[in-house]
Amino acid sequence: MFSGLRERLQSARDRLGASIGAAAAASQPQEPEKPAALEKEGEVPAKNPTLADKVRILIIDRELVVSEKDIADALSELEMTLLESDVALPVTDALIADIRAGLVGKHRKIGESVDSLVVRSLKSALLKVLGQGFDLPAYIRSHERPVKILFTGVNGTGKTTTVAKIGAYLKKEGFSVVIGAGDTFRAGAIEQIGVHAERLGIKVIEHQTGADPSAVLFDTVQYAIAHKTDVVLADTAGRFHTKANLMSQLEKIRRVMKPDLIVYVDEAVAGNDAVVRAAEFDKTVGADAIVLTKADMDSRGGAAISIAHTIGKPLLFLGTGQAYEDIMPFEPGTVVEELLGGAA
Amino acid sequence: MMDSLSGSLKDALKKLAGKAVVDRAAVDELVKNLQRALLSADVNVKLVMDLSKAIRTRSLDEELPKNTNVREHVLRIVYQELVRLVYASADLKLEPQVILMAGLQGSGKTTTTAKIARYFQKKGMKVGVICADTFRPGAYDQLSTLCAKINVPCFGNPKVTDARQIVREGLVAVKDQEVIIVDTQGRHALEPDLIQEIIDLNALTKASHRWLVIDAALGQQASEQAKRFHEAIGIDGVIITKMDGTAKGGGALSAVAETKSGIVFIGAGETIEDLERFDANGFISRLLGMGDLQALVEKVQEAQMADEVDMEAMMKGHFTLRDMYKQLEALNKMGPLKQIMSMLPMGNMQLPEGVYDVTSTKMARYRILMDSMSPKELDDPSLINSSRMQRIARGAGGTPEEVRELLKYYKMMHKTLKGLRGSGGGKFNMQRLMKRFSGMQ
Repeated sequence: MFSGLRERLQSARDRLGASIGAAAAASQPQEPEKPAALEKEGEVPAKNPTLADKVRILIIDRELVVSEKDIADALSELEMTLLESDVALPVTDALIADIRAGLVGKHRKIGESVDSLVVRSLKSALLKVLGQGFDLPAYIRSHERPVKILFTGVNGTGKTTTVAKIGAYLKKEGFSVVIGAGDTFRAGAIEQIGVHAERLGIKVIEHQTGADPSAVLFDTVQYAIAHKTDVVLADTAGRFHTKANLMSQLEKIRRVMKPDLIVYVDEAVAGNDAVVRAAEFDKTVGADAIVLTKADMDSRGGAAISIAHTIGKPLLFLGTGQAYEDIMPFEPGTVVEELLGGAA
Repeated sequence: MMDSLSGSLKDALKKLAGKAVVDRAAVDELVKNLQRALLSADVNVKLVMDLSKAIRTRSLDEELPKNTNVREHVLRIVYQELVRLVYASADLKLEPQVILMAGLQGSGKTTTTAKIARYFQKKGMKVGVICADTFRPGAYDQLSTLCAKINVPCFGNPKVTDARQIVREGLVAVKDQEVIIVDTQGRHALEPDLIQEIIDLNALTKASHRWLVIDAALGQQASEQAKRFHEAIGIDGVIITKMDGTAKGGGALSAVAETKSGIVFIGAGETIEDLERFDANGFISRLLGMGDLQALVEKVQEAQMADEVDMEAMMKGHFTLRDMYKQLEALNKMGPLKQIMSMLPMGNMQLPEGVYDVTSTKMARYRILMDSMSPKELDDPSLINSSRMQRIARGAGGTPEEVRELLKYYKMMHKTLKGLRGSGGGKFNMQRLMKRFSGMQ
């Protein structure tokens, strides 16, 4: 997952480390033994204790202050890296500022590895952005049934497929599921979710194409109450945040079915617009969690960072392929660990 | 966000405006702002870097053409470089052809297929569609429903799982049609089986066009995906979809650069009619979040157009409806009045707000009204009484109120021009003003 971003971060990390290292070397030109000391402080020869002490005081215990100048080049390279990985411009700016703040002015003992300092700063910045994960089964267990989940998003991000995948996932976790075919607009959408549900053995509540989606989803909730179903998954038609009438339709759906969770679905390959529309959806109908689809298309994962940073909501799942089991719960800690090569 | 970006871009331009020579620092700032605008429009990072380098060198090295100021000079370079980026020709001929649609999942291939079918149908071609998406449930239902609405034959079979077989049968089934469009399943470049499938479909259909459908929101990934698709089947046209959202479509630029092709269509809306031919100027304006760039670039020509208006007569306070007609005609080619005024180096001259309040649709109406006036009336508007008004209105398919409104606008323009002469203080100033008005500085 996100191996592309990982590689890029790895090289950025090396660059940052090298810059700081170079700055350190420049400030200590009179001490040729330094690299050796850096590698293994314990190996300072015991034959001449006075020299060893000197070295220890001069180099190992000496603090070095990282200046902005030392890392400027490396940071601007990191900026390009993030942009190339589809992290949106404003989010990139925020991340860079964060990392700079984490590094500049930091006192660092020479003995401490440059790498760990850089990694720590990157890691904290990324974790801050990605926030906490979201444990859906635990959420369902701790809430009154039926738990109603509404899926929103723009056209073609994969809402219907995601609904089917999450249905399959929850069924495997032992919950009973009903799907509301709330996309009554797009031709073939009801057939699409119908086929998925049939394959998965999940009940679908559907009306005809062109019907009021609020009514369909209301009926779905009623069905779930009557049949003591655990989870309602409500599919909706894709809509652009710029279409006021469609957004107010969504608003009506929310009023009518009173969802416990609103899940915003977007694709991992989306660029800067991901930020704009996520913010807009969050503003008009709200969003409690995010699903990022098509993550298998893209090894960069920038959209995950962008969206999470913009609306500050947890990522629920990543869609990683065409099969029903191609969905994985998102755990920020693991992902960041993986991105930074587990070196932290 | 975008607003502030285009704002800083404009600020950077403004800094160039007053300069007599091209200022390195100002150009640098402009380029930096331009980079940010393009990056946040999802244009490929490498493309942005190449582009800004070219703009920088050209701005600093090229000699300032006569009759232009620094700002116009730099802007023209920016515009030209951008056009070079998007404007490879993507020819669309009305002749029998087979079109193969390709693209990522959810980019809008099926909807676009129906839209293109409609486009050719409206041009009088016989169109047939083959649904080769054997994977996504409901794909055939979707396409056949859309095609049924416009009475286009659609071949498909949801029970068959082999796209090659469907296409083979489909080509026979719709062989009487002139334009055959093959919709395919969404796929991405990292799926070797599916890439092989589309290579086979391309060979099977002997497609005359292979169009790549790109979501306007697609980010940096566009470049890589387009490259792989191009390697597989040789993309010769790009279609940008979902331009009705806020996405800027910069990803499509990367696709164009990778495939060395042009943008054929732009999809902007959910109904079957919402398909437009690509317009480079509008696209670039949107990319940068700025107004009509082309108008700025063609300012020199504009000045010549303004010359058609009889400046001499106008200076003497002789301003007839005929002059106004010419003016409106010229304005019509250039865009809204206010924008033009803001482009011309008029300094701090203030025109009454009412002058700007004429929208382009109104201007078009005014011209129609004036078309139904007699030459005498055009030369001497005071002739127009209520019975003439009735006649003019009837001739133009409008109401007398409209004619009255037009006359009111004329009077206001007249008064404004007279006022200019008055406040200008003497003929010399007026002449200078008019010269400036025509952009010769």
